[in-house]
Amino acid sequence: MSECRKDNLAHFAVTIIGKDRPGIVADSAEILYRLGCNVEDSSCTMLGGNFAMILIISHEKPFAKARLSDEFRALQEMGLSVYVRALHEDEICYRPPQGELCLVSVYGSDKPGIVYRVTRELADRRINITDLNTRLIGSKEEPVYVMMLEAALPEGLTVLDAEGILEKLKKELSVEISVRVITPVSL
Amino acid sequence: MVAFDRGISVLIEDLVDTMRAGPGSVGVAAPQIGVTLRVCVVDVSNSRLGRDCNHGLLALVNPEIITREGANIMREGCMSVPDYTGDVERSTLITVRFLDQAGNSREITAIGFEAVAIQHEMDHLDGILFLDRIASLKTGLFRRKTYK
Repeated sequence: MSECRKDNLAHFAVTIIGKDRPGIVADSAEILYRLGCNVEDSSCTMLGGNFAMILIISHEKPFAKARLSDEFRALQEMGLSVYVRALHEDEICYRPPQGELCLVSVYGSDKPGIVYRVTRELADRRINITDLNTRLIGSKEEPVYVMMLEAALPEGLTVLDAEGILEKLKKELSVEISVRVITPVSL
Repeated sequence: MVAFDRGISVLIEDLVDTMRAGPGSVGVAAPQIGVTLRVCVVDVSNSRLGRDCNHGLLALVNPEIITREGANIMREGCMSVPDYTGDVERSTLITVRFLDQAGNSREITAIGFEAVAIQHEMDHLDGILFLDRIASLKTGLFRRKTYK
């Protein structure tokens, strides 16, 4: 999405989540298709035993949010939770992250505060997270927490700086933290 | 395969012009400009990642990878697929045999970013986009590592 969508389209953010089973995407997409909606951007994945869908959809104006909510009632009756948010003009377009992009990977024995402490350090320096995943791996006796996040560094901040910022958390949380550049190469 | 003639020199010039016109571009393949011939150009000498180790401007006609070694993952973007990037695994060292701009047979060994760029451009000659080489659109790396 390098340019903004046309003025004649209404945009909505939709989240659909529920106990995983085959057919959640098809059931949801069928409703959108019958309404004449476009799926502009989406990210759908399994989270625990749930399947979670997050979509940005568009429809030619005029189009009321209530129409979506009405049609999604069928999904809710199937046990799915649905949320619809109307988007303002300034939240429609994807803004490619500026500055160096880095991948921060954190892993160590599971304990409260890993996500909070790391992301607070980043937020305090205006480092913008663009993607984040966490997962509990390892065995039941020895759970290992893994977090991988991608973040755009503000101007003037290097990957080494970012590594330095997180250094003290390694000891405090007894986790491994590594930061590496993943700024895409254009070929 | 390409028979070497004057037309090839013109095509190579077009490819170089296209590459120079794309900001930060380090390579272009003939199919990207609508010519279905096995020709591509690569030049990583002006890029941050490639400037310390490269063969300058390379015009590759009928290129073939003869040997490859190692593997490394890099996040690639491509002017033919704007606004999308993906983590692609490529060989870290390759030996390539090709005809150069003058029609001479040459063999070079490329490493690092230059090796990645050559493999990316050569994929275009087979109609392969980096999108065909990634396992998952966004989090291929992470998912693969944690699910296995």
